[in-house]
Amino acid sequence: MFEEASEVLENMLKWSLPLSLVLFLVLVCPLRAEAAHEFSVYRMQQYDLQGQTYGSRNAILNTEARTVEAEVLSRRCVMMRLADFSYEKYQKALQQSAGAVVIILPQNMSTMPQDIVQQFMELEPELLATETIVPVYFALEDEELLSIYTQTQISSSSQGSSSAAEVLLHTATANGFQMVTSGAQSKAVSDWAITSLEGRLSGAGGEDLPTIVLVAHYDSFGVAPWLSYGADSNGSGVAILLELARLFSRLYSYKRTHAGYNLLFFLSGGGKFNYQGTKRWLEDNLDHTDSSLLQDNVAFVLCLDTLGNSDNLYLHVSKPPKEGSPQHVLLKELETVVTHQHPDLKFSMVHKKINLADDTLAWEHERFGIRRLPAFTLSHLESHRSPARHSIMDMRSVSSSLEGAGEATAGPHVDLTKLRRNTKVIAETLARVIYNLTEKGVSGDLEIFTEQMQVQEDQLASLVDWLTAQPRAAQLLDKDSSIVNTLEYYLNHYLKDVKRHLVRADKRDPEFVFYDQLKQTMNAYRVKPAIFDLLLAFCIAAYLGVLYLAIQNFGLLYSFLRRVTAPRVKQH
Amino acid sequence: MTLFHFGNCFSLAYFPYFITYKCSGLSEYNAFWRCVQAGATYLFVQLCKMLFLATFFPTWEGGAGVYDFVGEFMKATVDLADLLGLHLVMSRNAGKGEYKIMVAAMGWATAELIMSRCIPLWVGARGIEFDWKYIQMSFDSNISLVHYIAMAAVVWMFTRYDLPKSFRLPVTILLGLCVYKGFLME
Repeated sequence: MFEEASEVLENMLKWSLPLSLVLFLVLVCPLRAEAAHEFSVYRMQQYDLQGQTYGSRNAILNTEARTVEAEVLSRRCVMMRLADFSYEKYQKALQQSAGAVVIILPQNMSTMPQDIVQQFMELEPELLATETIVPVYFALEDEELLSIYTQTQISSSSQGSSSAAEVLLHTATANGFQMVTSGAQSKAVSDWAITSLEGRLSGAGGEDLPTIVLVAHYDSFGVAPWLSYGADSNGSGVAILLELARLFSRLYSYKRTHAGYNLLFFLSGGGKFNYQGTKRWLEDNLDHTDSSLLQDNVAFVLCLDTLGNSDNLYLHVSKPPKEGSPQHVLLKELETVVTHQHPDLKFSMVHKKINLADDTLAWEHERFGIRRLPAFTLSHLESHRSPARHSIMDMRSVSSSLEGAGEATAGPHVDLTKLRRNTKVIAETLARVIYNLTEKGVSGDLEIFTEQMQVQEDQLASLVDWLTAQPRAAQLLDKDSSIVNTLEYYLNHYLKDVKRHLVRADKRDPEFVFYDQLKQTMNAYRVKPAIFDLLLAFCIAAYLGVLYLAIQNFGLLYSFLRRVTAPRVKQH
Repeated sequence: MTLFHFGNCFSLAYFPYFITYKCSGLSEYNAFWRCVQAGATYLFVQLCKMLFLATFFPTWEGGAGVYDFVGEFMKATVDLADLLGLHLVMSRNAGKGEYKIMVAAMGWATAELIMSRCIPLWVGARGIEFDWKYIQMSFDSNISLVHYIAMAAVVWMFTRYDLPKSFRLPVTILLGLCVYKGFLME
């Protein structure tokens, strides 16, 4: 009998072990509650440039949500919609030491009126300039988020108002929201490599040919890195550069049209962070290598920056070109092409001296100018401070097709017909320069790039679409990213000697430092205020008290029931 | 919402049981161990039911909207095993009628409470998210306590041989209602 009992006991223990293990795991494991709503949020920029810190320093948050109308904002997450956003409200939130700020952007920017978009674009650099320890997030609006926002707004605006009874009722029925992010604190990314790509087309006939360099930076910038698509700035520049590579490689493949100029194409990274890619490339080519195309005969460098729109074209220079120099030739050819072939385009030269005392350089050509290489930047923007160069509103392209453009898109965007026209202008100008057409007496009306050699709008469209399909902020593109690989592949198709060039920040005195945790998942949990718990406890205690009394006096209840049913029995 | 809320739900669920145990005079009879036995019987019966269901009733494939009356009916019939279990518990306990009923019902209901309500409450009510369903669950356990007491009482009445004939029919009907309660609700 005892053996049986011990056997039973042993079996029981064996069974209970996994059970206890499970129990242990359940008790110990961290809480994973279901969220009321889970959505992606994109953090504001955080970076150091040349020792200066910018942007929001913090990434984690676990705070209750409020909207701006609420009186107490400290240690709360302030939610704002783009339509109601204003700098004063933002400042107010920061001054009251809010826990976080979440700005809700509409899914479709084109529904926003022009003035709001403009206002936001102008505020973006100011948001970044004030370094803050408050995490600032951007979220795209959907139905649930909107309902969370309206509920929070209702409860926030009614806070200071009412009597004690109303407050009690309010706490019982209201829904508060707790916003929690899942990631860790942000820290500096070590050893980030910014990639740049170069490729060349060698000219015909021997050594010592003059070189023309075409440059465009492929990264984009905005107040939130994951939302910077950079359609116009600088997706348009990259598209033009790639299309030029295609056209000129075709020309150079035939012996009769093989010109006597070397063409060097350069796609630089880190352009929005003071042109880091270009800077290091120049250092490597001019200081550390013995022979390079850049050291010898450079005719000029043409930088392409934001050319996707508008009927203006500006050639930015740091020194007006001297008569007879190749730069002057370029200027003249541009004027010729514009006046004869595209009279609707307004072209002018803008002269701005390089100011080394500024925090950042204005245009990319200034990097070349510092190293005494003659350079220009071609852009449809008149000033380098234009907000269109650093905005998240610069999104996918809109093609104003002949069937009629849809709604006018607010904010900067790429207009494909104008992009095509600008590409053609640049291509014709370059052709006139490298084939010396003006000296040979060819009239300004002759168009070279027609029929089989024409600038293909479909090609440009697909390039811009691909470029704007994902964010291209410099912090997101490491050397293995698909964009860099695809650009390299494309260049390899048309150019020779395609090389990658990496820039890593110096260890001791870094020119740029990037931080991580730029995209998070935020959970909004429905919570009840603490008073509600107390109220509930009170109610439960009352209920239990009544129950206790009822059971104690069950006898009374029973006899009462007997008495009620008894007369019927008696009658029976 | 955390631990305090869990405490609220826990007390709402468990205290009535505690109160019932204390006040119904069971403690005078040293009934604790017998209640635990009744709970063990509950576990055993549930296990048998699950095995039976899994073996003989494969998942019914077909449209989602149509309610499989026959299948669910069969499944509900298996709940008769519950009644058999209660009967078994009561027959093993010697003593007065009320004593047997109370012991069986208390043990049964407590076992059900621990098994089916404890873990959801622990995992769910402790989280940040608030949901009314945890309070509902706790309150539901109170109701099921009363339900099991009633069920045990009816089973006991059914097995009494000195029951007047006139009462037999209502008792049978009540028993049937107990078993098919879930089925009828659908």
